Amino acid sequence: MKVKKKIDIGSFFGKSVVQIILIIWAVLQLYPIIWLFYSSLKPSGEIRSDIFGFPRSLFLENYDFSVLASAGTTIGIYLRNSTIITVISLILITLVSLFAAYAIAKIRFPGKNVLMLVLIGLLGIPVHSLVIPLYYFISQIGLLSNIWGLILPYTAFYAPFSAVLLQAYFREFPDELIEAAKIDGCNNVTVFLRVVMPLTRGAISTVLIINFISIWNEFLFSLVINKNNMAKTIPVGLMNFKGQYYTDWGPMLATMIVAILPPIIFYFIFHRNIIKGMTAGAIKG
Amino acid sequence: MVINLKKRKVIFENLTGFSFVLPLIIFIIIFLLYPIIASLVLSFFKWKGYGEIDFVGIQNFIKMFTVDRYFPTAINNSIIFSITATLGTILVGFILAVLIDLKIFLWKVYRFIFFLTVILTVVVTGMLWLRIFDPYGLLNSLLDALNFTNLSRPWMGDANIAFGIIVFVTIWQYSGFTMIFFLAGMQNIEEDIYEAARIDGASTFRRIKSITIPLLKNVFAVITMLQLIFSFKVFDIVWVMTAGGPAGGTEVLGTYLYQVAFRKSQFGGGSVIAVIMFLLALIFAFIYVRVLGYRRMLKG
Repeated sequence: MKVKKKIDIGSFFGKSVVQIILIIWAVLQLYPIIWLFYSSLKPSGEIRSDIFGFPRSLFLENYDFSVLASAGTTIGIYLRNSTIITVISLILITLVSLFAAYAIAKIRFPGKNVLMLVLIGLLGIPVHSLVIPLYYFISQIGLLSNIWGLILPYTAFYAPFSAVLLQAYFREFPDELIEAAKIDGCNNVTVFLRVVMPLTRGAISTVLIINFISIWNEFLFSLVINKNNMAKTIPVGLMNFKGQYYTDWGPMLATMIVAILPPIIFYFIFHRNIIKGMTAGAIKG
Repeated sequence: MVINLKKRKVIFENLTGFSFVLPLIIFIIIFLLYPIIASLVLSFFKWKGYGEIDFVGIQNFIKMFTVDRYFPTAINNSIIFSITATLGTILVGFILAVLIDLKIFLWKVYRFIFFLTVILTVVVTGMLWLRIFDPYGLLNSLLDALNFTNLSRPWMGDANIAFGIIVFVTIWQYSGFTMIFFLAGMQNIEEDIYEAARIDGASTFRRIKSITIPLLKNVFAVITMLQLIFSFKVFDIVWVMTAGGPAGGTEVLGTYLYQVAFRKSQFGGGSVIAVIMFLLALIFAFIYVRVLGYRRMLKG
Protein backbone atom coordinates (compact mmCIF):
# COMPACT_ATOMS: atom_id res chain seq x y z
CA MET A 1 0.00 0.00 0.00
CA LYS A 2 1.29 3.43 -0.88
CA VAL A 3 1.07 6.03 1.82
CA LYS A 4 1.43 9.71 1.03
CA LYS A 5 4.07 11.31 3.15
CA LYS A 6 3.41 14.81 4.36
CA ILE A 7 6.80 15.34 5.88
CA ASP A 8 9.73 13.41 4.51
CA ILE A 9 12.35 12.98 7.18
CA GLY A 10 14.51 11.43 4.52
CA SER A 11 17.64 10.13 6.10
CA PHE A 12 17.96 6.60 7.39
CA PHE A 13 19.28 8.04 10.65
CA GLY A 14 16.18 10.19 11.19
CA LYS A 15 13.87 7.28 10.51
CA SER A 16 15.75 5.05 12.92
CA VAL A 17 15.56 7.59 15.73
CA VAL A 18 11.79 7.95 15.24
CA GLN A 19 11.36 4.17 15.16
CA ILE A 20 13.33 3.78 18.39
CA ILE A 21 11.27 6.41 20.23
CA LEU A 22 8.02 4.84 19.05
CA ILE A 23 9.20 1.35 20.01
CA ILE A 24 10.18 2.51 23.51
CA TRP A 25 6.75 4.06 24.14
CA ALA A 26 4.99 1.03 22.62
CA VAL A 27 6.91 -1.31 24.97
CA LEU A 28 6.13 0.92 27.94
CA GLN A 29 2.44 0.77 27.03
CA LEU A 30 2.19 -2.89 26.11
CA TYR A 31 4.58 -4.67 28.46
CA PRO A 32 2.52 -4.18 31.66
CA ILE A 33 -0.56 -5.53 29.88
CA ILE A 34 1.31 -8.47 28.40
CA TRP A 35 2.91 -9.19 31.78
CA LEU A 36 -0.58 -9.18 33.29
CA PHE A 37 -1.79 -11.70 30.70
CA TYR A 38 0.96 -14.26 31.11
CA SER A 39 1.38 -13.84 34.87
CA SER A 40 -2.31 -14.61 35.35
CA LEU A 41 -1.40 -18.10 34.08
CA LYS A 42 1.13 -18.70 36.89
CA PRO A 43 0.48 -19.88 40.47
CA SER A 44 0.89 -17.10 43.07
CA GLY A 45 4.10 -18.66 44.41
CA GLU A 46 5.72 -18.68 41.01
CA ILE A 47 4.76 -15.02 40.41
CA ARG A 48 6.51 -14.16 43.69
CA SER A 49 9.69 -16.12 43.12
CA ASP A 50 10.10 -15.29 39.44
CA ILE A 51 8.20 -12.10 38.75
CA PHE A 52 9.27 -11.53 35.13
CA GLY A 53 9.40 -15.14 33.88
CA PHE A 54 6.93 -16.70 31.50
CA PRO A 55 4.74 -19.47 32.99
CA ARG A 56 6.61 -22.78 33.22
CA SER A 57 3.37 -24.57 32.52
CA LEU A 58 -0.14 -23.28 31.95
CA PHE A 59 -1.83 -22.81 35.31
CA LEU A 60 -5.54 -22.18 34.76
CA GLU A 61 -6.73 -22.48 38.38
CA ASN A 62 -6.57 -18.69 38.80
CA TYR A 63 -9.54 -18.60 36.46
CA ASP A 64 -11.53 -21.18 38.45
CA PHE A 65 -14.21 -18.88 39.78
CA SER A 66 -15.75 -21.54 42.06
CA VAL A 67 -12.55 -21.71 44.15
CA LEU A 68 -12.58 -17.96 44.55
CA ALA A 69 -16.26 -17.94 45.38
CA SER A 70 -15.54 -19.97 48.49
CA ALA A 71 -13.02 -17.28 49.50
CA GLY A 72 -15.66 -14.57 49.19
CA THR A 73 -14.64 -13.09 45.86
CA THR A 74 -17.40 -14.02 43.52
CA ILE A 75 -16.05 -13.02 40.11
CA GLY A 76 -18.72 -15.01 38.31
CA ILE A 77 -21.40 -12.92 40.00
CA TYR A 78 -19.56 -9.63 39.36
CA LEU A 79 -19.27 -10.61 35.73
CA ARG A 80 -22.96 -11.42 35.54
CA ASN A 81 -23.91 -8.14 37.26
CA SER A 82 -21.68 -6.09 34.98
CA THR A 83 -23.05 -7.80 31.89
CA ILE A 84 -26.73 -7.41 32.83
CA ILE A 85 -26.33 -3.79 33.94
CA THR A 86 -24.33 -2.84 30.85
CA VAL A 87 -26.67 -4.53 28.36
CA ILE A 88 -29.92 -3.13 29.80
CA SER A 89 -28.39 0.35 30.21
CA LEU A 90 -27.22 0.30 26.60
CA ILE A 91 -30.68 -0.63 25.34
CA LEU A 92 -32.33 2.13 27.38
CA ILE A 93 -29.73 4.78 26.50
CA THR A 94 -29.95 3.95 22.82
CA LEU A 95 -33.77 4.08 22.75
CA VAL A 96 -34.03 7.28 24.76
CA SER A 97 -31.26 9.12 22.91
CA LEU A 98 -32.25 7.93 19.42
CA PHE A 99 -35.77 9.34 19.64
CA ALA A 100 -34.58 12.57 21.26
CA ALA A 101 -31.77 13.05 18.74
CA TYR A 102 -34.10 12.47 15.81
CA ALA A 103 -36.63 14.99 17.15
CA ILE A 104 -33.88 17.58 17.74
CA ALA A 105 -32.49 17.13 14.24
CA LYS A 106 -35.61 16.65 12.13
CA ILE A 107 -38.86 17.59 13.90
CA ARG A 108 -40.01 21.16 14.55
CA PHE A 109 -41.01 21.87 18.13
CA PRO A 110 -40.56 24.85 20.47
CA GLY A 111 -37.85 24.78 23.16
CA LYS A 112 -35.49 22.77 21.02
CA ASN A 113 -32.53 25.13 21.43
CA VAL A 114 -32.96 25.33 25.18
CA LEU A 115 -32.95 21.54 25.36
CA MET A 116 -29.79 21.39 23.26
CA LEU A 117 -28.10 23.93 25.53
CA VAL A 118 -29.06 21.89 28.61
CA LEU A 119 -27.72 18.70 27.01
CA ILE A 120 -24.37 20.32 26.19
CA GLY A 121 -24.20 21.87 29.66
CA LEU A 122 -24.71 18.45 31.22
CA LEU A 123 -21.77 16.91 29.34
CA GLY A 124 -19.17 18.32 31.73
CA ILE A 125 -21.01 17.77 35.01
CA PRO A 126 -19.00 15.51 37.32
CA VAL A 127 -20.87 12.59 38.87
CA HIS A 128 -19.46 13.76 42.21
CA SER A 129 -21.66 16.82 42.23
CA LEU A 130 -24.83 14.74 42.36
CA VAL A 131 -23.79 11.46 43.95
CA ILE A 132 -24.82 12.31 47.55
CA PRO A 133 -28.52 13.17 46.93
CA LEU A 134 -28.74 10.46 44.29
CA TYR A 135 -27.45 7.89 46.77
CA TYR A 136 -30.11 8.99 49.26
CA PHE A 137 -32.85 9.02 46.61
CA ILE A 138 -31.96 5.53 45.41
CA SER A 139 -31.88 4.21 48.96
CA GLN A 140 -35.33 5.74 49.53
CA ILE A 141 -36.85 3.98 46.51
CA GLY A 142 -35.24 0.75 47.69
CA LEU A 143 -32.83 0.28 44.78
CA LEU A 144 -29.51 0.13 46.66
CA SER A 145 -27.56 -2.99 45.61
CA ASN A 146 -30.14 -3.53 42.88
CA ILE A 147 -29.31 -3.55 39.17
CA TRP A 148 -31.93 -0.84 38.51
CA GLY A 149 -30.21 1.41 41.04
CA LEU A 150 -27.39 1.64 38.51
CA ILE A 151 -29.23 1.18 35.21
CA LEU A 152 -31.59 4.14 35.62
CA PRO A 153 -28.91 6.69 36.65
CA TYR A 154 -26.53 5.37 33.97
CA THR A 155 -29.21 6.01 31.38
CA ALA A 156 -29.46 9.60 32.59
CA PHE A 157 -25.65 10.00 32.72
CA TYR A 158 -24.91 8.76 29.21
CA ALA A 159 -28.05 9.56 27.19
CA PRO A 160 -27.34 13.33 26.89
CA PHE A 161 -23.92 12.69 25.35
CA SER A 162 -25.40 10.07 23.02
CA ALA A 163 -28.22 12.40 21.96
CA VAL A 164 -25.78 15.24 21.19
CA LEU A 165 -23.63 12.91 19.11
CA LEU A 166 -26.53 11.26 17.27
CA GLN A 167 -28.37 14.48 16.42
CA ALA A 168 -25.23 15.63 14.58
CA TYR A 169 -25.48 12.55 12.36
CA PHE A 170 -29.25 12.89 11.88
CA ARG A 171 -28.82 16.54 10.89
CA GLU A 172 -26.84 15.43 7.85
CA PHE A 173 -29.53 12.94 6.87
CA PRO A 174 -31.16 14.13 3.58
CA ASP A 175 -34.63 15.65 4.13
CA GLU A 176 -35.68 14.51 0.64
CA LEU A 177 -35.63 10.87 1.76
CA ILE A 178 -37.83 11.70 4.74
CA GLU A 179 -40.25 13.71 2.59
CA ALA A 180 -40.43 10.93 0.03
CA ALA A 181 -41.23 8.39 2.73
CA LYS A 182 -43.90 10.68 4.15
CA ILE A 183 -45.54 11.00 0.73
CA ASP A 184 -45.56 7.22 0.61
CA GLY A 185 -47.69 7.31 3.76
CA CYS A 186 -45.15 7.06 6.57
CA ASN A 187 -45.56 9.15 9.72
CA ASN A 188 -42.69 10.44 11.91
CA VAL A 189 -42.44 7.20 13.83
CA THR A 190 -42.35 4.89 10.83
CA VAL A 191 -40.00 7.22 8.91
CA PHE A 192 -37.66 7.02 11.87
CA LEU A 193 -37.85 3.26 12.26
CA ARG A 194 -37.85 2.23 8.57
CA VAL A 195 -35.81 4.91 6.83
CA VAL A 196 -33.54 6.82 9.18
CA MET A 197 -32.45 4.10 11.61
CA PRO A 198 -31.25 1.54 9.06
CA LEU A 199 -29.25 4.23 7.26
CA THR A 200 -27.52 5.55 10.38
CA ARG A 201 -26.46 2.18 11.72
CA GLY A 202 -22.80 3.28 11.76
CA ALA A 203 -23.48 6.22 14.07
CA ILE A 204 -25.63 4.10 16.34
CA SER A 205 -22.96 1.43 16.71
CA THR A 206 -20.34 4.07 17.49
CA VAL A 207 -22.51 5.40 20.32
CA LEU A 208 -23.17 1.86 21.55
CA ILE A 209 -19.49 0.97 21.73
CA ILE A 210 -18.41 4.14 23.51
CA ASN A 211 -21.21 3.80 26.04
CA PHE A 212 -20.32 0.15 26.51
CA ILE A 213 -16.77 1.06 27.49
CA SER A 214 -17.89 3.90 29.79
CA ILE A 215 -20.46 1.79 31.63
CA TRP A 216 -18.35 -1.36 31.86
CA ASN A 217 -15.55 0.70 33.43
CA GLU A 218 -17.69 3.00 35.62
CA PHE A 219 -16.43 2.98 39.18
CA LEU A 220 -17.46 5.79 41.53
CA PHE A 221 -21.22 5.51 41.27
CA SER A 222 -21.14 1.73 41.33
CA LEU A 223 -18.96 1.88 44.45
CA VAL A 224 -21.51 4.08 46.23
CA ILE A 225 -24.65 2.19 45.22
CA ASN A 226 -23.51 -1.44 45.55
CA LYS A 227 -22.50 -2.18 49.11
CA ASN A 228 -23.73 -5.77 49.00
CA ASN A 229 -21.00 -8.08 47.71
CA MET A 230 -23.49 -10.02 45.57
CA ALA A 231 -24.54 -6.84 43.72
CA LYS A 232 -21.06 -5.52 42.86
CA THR A 233 -19.89 -4.86 39.32
CA ILE A 234 -16.42 -5.97 38.22
CA PRO A 235 -14.46 -2.74 38.89
CA VAL A 236 -15.90 -2.51 42.42
CA GLY A 237 -15.52 -6.24 43.04
CA LEU A 238 -11.87 -5.99 42.09
CA MET A 239 -11.33 -3.77 45.11
CA ASN A 240 -11.89 -6.85 47.35
CA PHE A 241 -8.38 -7.87 46.40
CA LYS A 242 -6.93 -4.73 47.93
CA GLY A 243 -7.54 -6.03 51.43
CA GLN A 244 -7.39 -9.58 52.62
CA TYR A 245 -6.05 -11.41 49.57
CA TYR A 246 -3.32 -8.93 48.86
CA THR A 247 -0.55 -11.51 48.62
CA ASP A 248 -2.54 -13.91 46.47
CA TRP A 249 -1.56 -12.37 43.15
CA GLY A 250 -2.65 -15.18 40.82
CA PRO A 251 -6.45 -14.90 41.19
CA MET A 252 -6.16 -11.12 41.41
CA LEU A 253 -4.38 -10.89 38.06
CA ALA A 254 -6.87 -13.34 36.51
CA THR A 255 -9.78 -11.18 37.67
CA MET A 256 -8.10 -8.09 36.23
CA ILE A 257 -7.87 -9.87 32.89
CA VAL A 258 -11.57 -10.76 33.05
CA ALA A 259 -12.33 -7.08 33.67
CA ILE A 260 -10.37 -5.72 30.69
CA LEU A 261 -10.96 -8.50 28.18
CA PRO A 262 -14.39 -7.35 26.92
CA PRO A 263 -13.27 -3.76 26.19
CA ILE A 264 -10.08 -5.06 24.56
CA ILE A 265 -12.01 -7.45 22.31
CA PHE A 266 -14.33 -4.60 21.35
CA TYR A 267 -11.33 -2.41 20.63
CA PHE A 268 -9.81 -5.01 18.32
CA ILE A 269 -13.05 -5.26 16.34
CA PHE A 270 -14.30 -1.67 16.42
CA HIS A 271 -11.25 0.54 16.97
CA ARG A 272 -12.21 2.70 13.99
CA ASN A 273 -15.65 3.50 15.46
CA ILE A 274 -14.20 4.08 18.91
CA ILE A 275 -11.57 6.55 17.74
CA LYS A 276 -14.03 8.34 15.45
CA GLY A 277 -16.72 8.59 18.12
CA MET A 278 -14.37 9.89 20.79
CA THR A 279 -13.05 12.72 18.64
CA ALA A 280 -16.43 13.59 17.10
CA GLY A 281 -18.31 16.45 18.64
CA ALA A 282 -15.16 18.09 19.90
CA ILE A 283 -13.21 18.66 16.70
CA LYS A 284 -15.57 18.45 13.75
CA GLY A 285 -17.52 21.37 12.38
CA MET B 1 -60.23 25.34 6.34
CA VAL B 2 -56.83 24.95 4.70
CA ILE B 3 -55.14 27.14 7.33
CA ASN B 4 -56.81 25.14 10.03
CA LEU B 5 -55.48 21.91 8.58
CA LYS B 6 -51.99 23.37 8.39
CA LYS B 7 -52.21 24.53 11.97
CA ARG B 8 -53.35 21.11 13.10
CA LYS B 9 -50.44 19.56 11.25
CA VAL B 10 -47.98 21.86 13.00
CA ILE B 11 -49.49 21.08 16.39
CA PHE B 12 -49.32 17.38 15.61
CA GLU B 13 -45.66 17.73 14.61
CA ASN B 14 -44.89 19.65 17.81
CA LEU B 15 -46.55 16.96 19.87
CA THR B 16 -44.58 14.24 18.11
CA GLY B 17 -41.39 16.17 18.79
CA PHE B 18 -42.24 16.57 22.47
CA SER B 19 -43.11 12.94 22.91
CA PHE B 20 -39.80 11.91 21.29
CA VAL B 21 -37.74 13.99 23.73
CA LEU B 22 -39.95 13.38 26.77
CA PRO B 23 -38.25 10.19 28.05
CA LEU B 24 -34.84 11.88 27.91
CA ILE B 25 -36.17 14.93 29.75
CA ILE B 26 -37.72 12.76 32.47
CA PHE B 27 -34.44 10.90 33.02
CA ILE B 28 -32.50 14.17 33.14
CA ILE B 29 -34.86 15.80 35.63
CA ILE B 30 -34.99 12.85 38.04
CA PHE B 31 -31.38 11.70 37.93
CA LEU B 32 -29.40 14.83 37.04
CA LEU B 33 -31.15 18.15 37.66
CA TYR B 34 -32.94 17.21 40.87
CA PRO B 35 -29.77 15.77 42.52
CA ILE B 36 -27.69 18.79 41.48
CA ILE B 37 -30.20 21.16 43.07
CA ALA B 38 -30.44 18.89 46.11
CA SER B 39 -26.63 19.05 46.45
CA LEU B 40 -26.78 22.84 46.49
CA VAL B 41 -29.48 22.78 49.16
CA LEU B 42 -27.74 20.08 51.25
CA SER B 43 -24.52 22.09 51.45
CA PHE B 44 -26.34 24.46 53.83
CA PHE B 45 -27.46 21.68 56.16
CA LYS B 46 -25.92 19.38 58.72
CA TRP B 47 -27.07 15.85 58.03
CA LYS B 48 -25.82 12.30 58.51
CA GLY B 49 -27.98 10.81 55.78
CA TYR B 50 -30.59 9.80 58.35
CA GLY B 51 -32.28 11.32 61.39
CA GLU B 52 -32.11 15.02 62.21
CA ILE B 53 -31.38 17.60 59.57
CA ASP B 54 -30.27 21.05 60.73
CA PHE B 55 -29.96 24.26 58.77
CA VAL B 56 -26.50 25.72 59.42
CA GLY B 57 -26.25 28.39 56.70
CA ILE B 58 -22.78 28.77 55.24
CA GLN B 59 -21.20 27.06 58.27
CA ASN B 60 -20.22 24.02 56.19
CA PHE B 61 -18.36 26.20 53.70
CA ILE B 62 -16.58 28.19 56.41
CA LYS B 63 -15.53 25.00 58.22
CA MET B 64 -14.25 23.45 55.00
CA PHE B 65 -12.07 26.43 54.17
CA THR B 66 -10.82 27.28 57.68
CA VAL B 67 -10.64 24.36 60.11
CA ASP B 68 -10.78 21.26 57.92
CA ARG B 69 -7.50 19.33 58.04
CA TYR B 70 -7.51 17.69 54.62
CA PHE B 71 -9.55 20.01 52.41
CA PRO B 72 -6.67 22.43 51.62
CA THR B 73 -4.48 19.48 50.60
CA ALA B 74 -7.31 18.07 48.50
CA ILE B 75 -7.96 21.26 46.55
CA ASN B 76 -4.22 21.86 46.17
CA ASN B 77 -3.65 18.35 44.86
CA SER B 78 -6.62 18.64 42.49
CA ILE B 79 -5.15 21.79 40.96
CA ILE B 80 -1.65 20.31 40.70
CA PHE B 81 -3.01 17.07 39.28
CA SER B 82 -5.12 18.90 36.67
CA ILE B 83 -2.22 21.01 35.49
CA THR B 84 0.44 18.29 35.42
CA ALA B 85 -1.81 15.59 33.95
CA THR B 86 -3.13 18.00 31.29
CA LEU B 87 0.33 19.23 30.33
CA GLY B 88 1.75 15.70 30.41
CA THR B 89 -0.91 14.07 28.25
CA ILE B 90 -0.80 16.97 25.78
CA LEU B 91 2.99 16.98 25.53
CA VAL B 92 3.35 13.21 25.13
CA GLY B 93 0.25 12.97 22.91
CA PHE B 94 1.52 15.72 20.63
CA ILE B 95 4.98 14.18 20.28
CA LEU B 96 3.43 10.78 19.51
CA ALA B 97 1.08 12.35 16.95
CA VAL B 98 3.94 14.19 15.20
CA LEU B 99 6.03 11.02 15.03
CA ILE B 100 3.10 8.92 13.78
CA ASP B 101 2.15 11.55 11.21
CA LEU B 102 5.59 11.05 9.64
CA LYS B 103 3.94 7.84 8.36
CA ILE B 104 7.01 5.72 8.83
CA PHE B 105 6.98 1.91 8.79
CA LEU B 106 4.28 0.39 11.07
CA TRP B 107 2.70 3.78 11.93
CA LYS B 108 -0.79 2.26 11.96
CA VAL B 109 0.30 -0.39 14.43
CA TYR B 110 1.74 2.27 16.73
CA ARG B 111 -1.47 4.30 16.54
CA PHE B 112 -3.43 1.16 17.44
CA ILE B 113 -1.19 0.37 20.43
CA PHE B 114 -1.06 3.92 21.79
CA PHE B 115 -4.83 4.25 21.96
CA LEU B 116 -5.37 0.79 23.47
CA THR B 117 -4.71 1.90 27.07
CA VAL B 118 -7.50 4.52 26.86
CA ILE B 119 -10.21 1.84 26.94
CA LEU B 120 -8.83 -0.05 29.95
CA THR B 121 -10.76 -0.06 33.24
CA VAL B 122 -9.00 2.50 35.44
CA VAL B 123 -9.30 0.16 38.44
CA VAL B 124 -7.23 -2.41 36.52
CA THR B 125 -4.71 0.21 35.37
CA GLY B 126 -4.24 1.30 38.97
CA MET B 127 -3.93 -2.23 40.34
CA LEU B 128 -1.53 -3.14 37.55
CA TRP B 129 0.80 -0.23 38.32
CA LEU B 130 0.53 -1.05 42.03
CA ARG B 131 2.02 -4.44 41.14
CA ILE B 132 4.89 -2.60 39.43
CA PHE B 133 5.53 -0.24 42.36
CA ASP B 134 4.81 -2.88 45.04
CA PRO B 135 7.65 -3.32 47.60
CA TYR B 136 8.13 -6.79 46.04
CA GLY B 137 6.92 -5.68 42.64
CA LEU B 138 8.32 -5.43 39.15
CA LEU B 139 10.32 -2.22 39.56
CA ASN B 140 12.10 -3.21 42.77
CA SER B 141 12.81 -6.68 41.34
CA LEU B 142 14.31 -5.05 38.27
CA LEU B 143 16.44 -2.71 40.40
CA ASP B 144 17.63 -5.71 42.44
CA ALA B 145 18.50 -7.63 39.31
CA LEU B 146 20.50 -4.65 38.01
CA ASN B 147 22.29 -4.29 41.37
CA PHE B 148 20.64 -0.97 42.19
CA THR B 149 19.13 -2.40 45.37
CA ASN B 150 19.80 0.84 47.22
CA LEU B 151 17.36 2.62 44.89
CA SER B 152 14.46 0.27 45.60
CA ARG B 153 11.90 1.49 48.12
CA PRO B 154 8.24 1.15 49.08
CA TRP B 155 7.25 3.61 46.36
CA MET B 156 3.65 4.20 47.37
CA GLY B 157 4.64 4.83 51.00
CA ASP B 158 5.78 8.39 50.27
CA ALA B 159 2.97 10.83 49.44
CA ASN B 160 5.02 12.90 47.00
CA ILE B 161 6.33 9.91 45.08
CA ALA B 162 2.87 8.29 45.12
CA PHE B 163 1.32 11.47 43.73
CA GLY B 164 3.94 11.64 40.99
CA ILE B 165 3.23 7.99 40.14
CA ILE B 166 -0.50 8.70 39.87
CA VAL B 167 0.20 11.55 37.44
CA PHE B 168 2.57 9.33 35.47
CA VAL B 169 0.03 6.48 35.23
CA THR B 170 -2.60 8.97 34.00
CA ILE B 171 -0.21 10.18 31.30
CA TRP B 172 0.58 6.55 30.45
CA GLN B 173 -3.11 5.75 30.04
CA TYR B 174 -4.46 8.86 28.31
CA SER B 175 -1.70 10.18 26.02
CA GLY B 176 -3.24 8.05 23.27
CA PHE B 177 -6.46 10.01 23.72
CA THR B 178 -4.86 13.41 23.10
CA MET B 179 -2.75 11.88 20.31
CA ILE B 180 -5.90 10.94 18.39
CA PHE B 181 -7.15 14.53 18.54
CA PHE B 182 -3.86 15.90 17.25
CA LEU B 183 -3.79 13.31 14.45
CA ALA B 184 -7.34 14.28 13.44
CA GLY B 185 -6.23 17.93 13.31
CA MET B 186 -3.11 17.11 11.33
CA GLN B 187 -5.21 15.38 8.68
CA ASN B 188 -6.73 18.75 7.84
CA ILE B 189 -3.39 20.40 7.14
CA GLU B 190 -2.80 20.70 3.40
CA GLU B 191 0.14 18.76 2.08
CA ASP B 192 1.11 21.67 -0.21
CA ILE B 193 2.09 23.79 2.77
CA TYR B 194 4.64 21.22 3.91
CA GLU B 195 5.79 20.73 0.34
CA ALA B 196 6.38 24.48 -0.12
CA ALA B 197 8.30 24.63 3.15
CA ARG B 198 10.39 21.65 2.08
CA ILE B 199 11.30 23.30 -1.20
CA ASP B 200 12.26 26.43 0.72
CA GLY B 201 14.66 24.22 2.65
CA ALA B 202 12.95 24.19 6.04
CA SER B 203 14.08 21.37 8.33
CA THR B 204 11.59 18.83 9.69
CA PHE B 205 11.82 20.41 13.11
CA ARG B 206 11.25 23.87 11.64
CA ARG B 207 8.24 22.67 9.69
CA ILE B 208 6.66 21.25 12.86
CA LYS B 209 7.35 24.45 14.79
CA SER B 210 6.23 26.90 12.10
CA ILE B 211 3.43 24.99 10.40
CA THR B 212 2.02 22.16 12.51
CA ILE B 213 1.82 23.90 15.89
CA PRO B 214 0.30 27.21 14.70
CA LEU B 215 -2.25 25.44 12.52
CA LEU B 216 -3.28 23.18 15.40
CA LYS B 217 -3.95 26.11 17.73
CA ASN B 218 -7.66 25.27 17.97
CA VAL B 219 -7.00 21.61 18.63
CA PHE B 220 -4.63 22.58 21.44
CA ALA B 221 -7.30 24.82 22.95
CA VAL B 222 -10.03 22.18 22.75
CA ILE B 223 -7.93 19.35 24.10
CA THR B 224 -6.58 21.49 26.94
CA MET B 225 -10.11 22.27 28.08
CA LEU B 226 -11.23 18.64 27.72
CA GLN B 227 -8.26 17.36 29.72
CA LEU B 228 -8.78 19.98 32.43
CA ILE B 229 -12.44 18.97 32.73
CA PHE B 230 -11.53 15.26 32.91
CA SER B 231 -8.64 15.61 35.32
CA PHE B 232 -10.44 17.88 37.74
CA LYS B 233 -12.95 15.12 38.45
CA VAL B 234 -10.28 12.46 38.96
CA PHE B 235 -11.37 9.78 41.42
CA ASP B 236 -10.80 6.21 40.22
CA ILE B 237 -7.03 6.14 39.84
CA VAL B 238 -6.39 7.93 43.16
CA TRP B 239 -8.90 5.80 45.05
CA VAL B 240 -7.41 2.58 43.71
CA MET B 241 -3.73 3.46 44.10
CA THR B 242 -3.65 5.34 47.41
CA ALA B 243 -7.25 6.02 48.55
CA GLY B 244 -5.97 9.52 49.35
CA GLY B 245 -3.18 8.28 51.63
CA PRO B 246 -0.63 8.03 53.03
CA ALA B 247 -1.94 10.36 55.76
CA GLY B 248 -4.19 12.26 53.35
CA GLY B 249 -1.18 13.34 51.28
CA THR B 250 -2.64 12.37 47.90
CA GLU B 251 -6.24 13.36 48.64
CA VAL B 252 -8.02 15.10 45.73
CA LEU B 253 -11.49 16.70 45.72
CA GLY B 254 -13.12 13.55 44.31
CA THR B 255 -11.69 11.17 46.89
CA TYR B 256 -12.19 13.61 49.72
CA LEU B 257 -15.86 14.00 48.86
CA TYR B 258 -16.22 10.23 49.09
CA GLN B 259 -14.40 10.15 52.44
CA VAL B 260 -16.46 12.94 53.98
CA ALA B 261 -19.85 11.86 52.66
CA PHE B 262 -19.69 8.09 52.68
CA ARG B 263 -17.02 7.24 55.27
CA LYS B 264 -17.71 9.96 57.85
CA SER B 265 -21.41 10.30 56.92
CA GLN B 266 -21.22 14.10 56.73
CA PHE B 267 -23.60 14.75 53.87
CA GLY B 268 -23.51 18.53 54.33
CA GLY B 269 -19.72 18.73 54.26
CA GLY B 270 -19.59 16.36 51.29
CA SER B 271 -22.11 18.54 49.47
CA VAL B 272 -19.84 21.57 49.92
CA ILE B 273 -17.18 19.74 47.90
CA ALA B 274 -19.86 18.65 45.42
CA VAL B 275 -20.94 22.27 44.93
CA ILE B 276 -17.34 23.44 44.47
CA MET B 277 -16.75 20.72 41.87
CA PHE B 278 -20.00 21.61 40.13
CA LEU B 279 -19.12 25.31 39.94
CA LEU B 280 -15.64 24.54 38.63
CA ALA B 281 -17.11 22.19 36.01
CA LEU B 282 -19.57 24.91 35.00
CA ILE B 283 -16.75 27.44 34.56
CA PHE B 284 -14.71 24.96 32.53
CA ALA B 285 -17.74 24.07 30.40
CA PHE B 286 -18.43 27.76 29.80
CA ILE B 287 -14.86 28.41 28.65
CA TYR B 288 -14.99 25.25 26.56
CA VAL B 289 -18.14 26.34 24.74
CA ARG B 290 -16.65 29.81 24.25
CA VAL B 291 -13.45 28.31 22.84
CA LEU B 292 -15.32 25.98 20.54
CA GLY B 293 -18.27 28.18 19.64
CA TYR B 294 -21.81 27.14 20.41
CA ARG B 295 -22.81 26.83 16.75
CA ARG B 296 -20.02 24.38 16.07
CA MET B 297 -21.16 22.21 18.98
CA LEU B 298 -24.69 22.07 17.63
CA LYS B 299 -23.34 20.72 14.37
CA GLY B 300 -21.20 18.27 16.32
